[in-house]
Amino acid sequence: MAGSMKAVKLRIKSVQSTMQITKAMQLVAASKLRKAKERADESKPYLETMLTTLTDIANGNTDFRSIYTKPGDNAERWLYVVIAGDRGLAGGYNSNLFKFVEAEIKDKTDVTVLPIGKKSVEFFKHRNIPILTEEYAEVAKITISDCFQIAKIICGSYGGEGFGHVFLCYTNFVSMLSQVPTATSLLPLSDLRSEEQESDGKPKDLILYEPNSETVFDAIVPEYLAGILYTSINISYASELAARRTAMEAATDNAEEMIETLSLYYNRARQASITQEITEIVAGAES
Amino acid sequence: MSATYHLQVVSLDGLEYEGEVQKILLRTIDGDIEILARHTNYCTAIGMGTAKVTMEDGQERKAACIGGMISVMNGEVRVLPTTWEWSENIDVERAREAKARAEEILKDKQLDNEARIRAEAKLYRALVRLGSSGQEHNINID
Repeated sequence: MAGSMKAVKLRIKSVQSTMQITKAMQLVAASKLRKAKERADESKPYLETMLTTLTDIANGNTDFRSIYTKPGDNAERWLYVVIAGDRGLAGGYNSNLFKFVEAEIKDKTDVTVLPIGKKSVEFFKHRNIPILTEEYAEVAKITISDCFQIAKIICGSYGGEGFGHVFLCYTNFVSMLSQVPTATSLLPLSDLRSEEQESDGKPKDLILYEPNSETVFDAIVPEYLAGILYTSINISYASELAARRTAMEAATDNAEEMIETLSLYYNRARQASITQEITEIVAGAES
Repeated sequence: MSATYHLQVVSLDGLEYEGEVQKILLRTIDGDIEILARHTNYCTAIGMGTAKVTMEDGQERKAACIGGMISVMNGEVRVLPTTWEWSENIDVERAREAKARAEEILKDKQLDNEARIRAEAKLYRALVRLGSSGQEHNINID
């Protein structure tokens, strides 16, 4: 009897210390989340306006000479930029995103990945999927100028002998409780074209490019990529923290519940051992 | 009163301006342009320079505007700069320091090409900020 009491006590202690950790992580995530959400909110309008503007452009003009606007010769070579977290213990944040990416790339033969975030690098290394560069493993440390560097790398490897399509996978911050993995097409711009526009047969809007479309797109595309990357990194980071906070909150609640049940067991065992002792004493006195 | 149109300025730091304006003047990679109401569909990349926005009431506001793009689609004007700082928000002290630092780096004759380009870009950005702040003489950059 005394043995099981000790075991239960030890178990309570261990659950308690785990709870302390999850509680602390929850608080840290919650306080970081506030700042990250602010940043994500700030950058959201940019992402949205940028995408609508470029969709308009892609819908409008068909006379493009720039390599960025139509699929290249290697239309079957895909590059995926995957933004995940640096650390685990964030509920389904990383695994949901990876599941989503796997479903995306399932029926594509030639896929290369540019992972951002340590977990992302680990995952694709494990899967033996070719990786473009591992330089941007730490998502928390990425600055605007890093984004410009990444954009440069993407532009350099796109078109000609390189990739035909570039996709971006990140986790969209819908609300504090819901984060959804999302994919957007980055290049070529014609991938952005909405389907209804294609079929309605209306004359397309003509757009004037100065000095000419080639120069304009060569200047715009790196900026657009860097901007989109930066904003989606911000949004992903906020999603990660929100997911971690929710996961840790659940873990803390579970730990509390466990402690409750365990203390019940403990008390029962204690009571049982006391009863037994009394019975023993009484039995001894009677004989 | 002259005709107005709807302008949206969205930078990486968020929505900088949204509303009716008479005109906007800014420097593109191909020189200065001014967009008035009923402009044709248009798209170009932004260079580095001072942007001047004339509001609905004729009042003019200045801003440092660097990089990004401007698009006019069916009367809707969207400016998507990498950096957009209204003149009253520019940190002049910081820009001055950045300018001095960049000039110091550029003095080095043995500088490799990439570092030189970076320092020059820093110097340009500092000069644009100073020029747009209205507290320094306007500096023209080619």
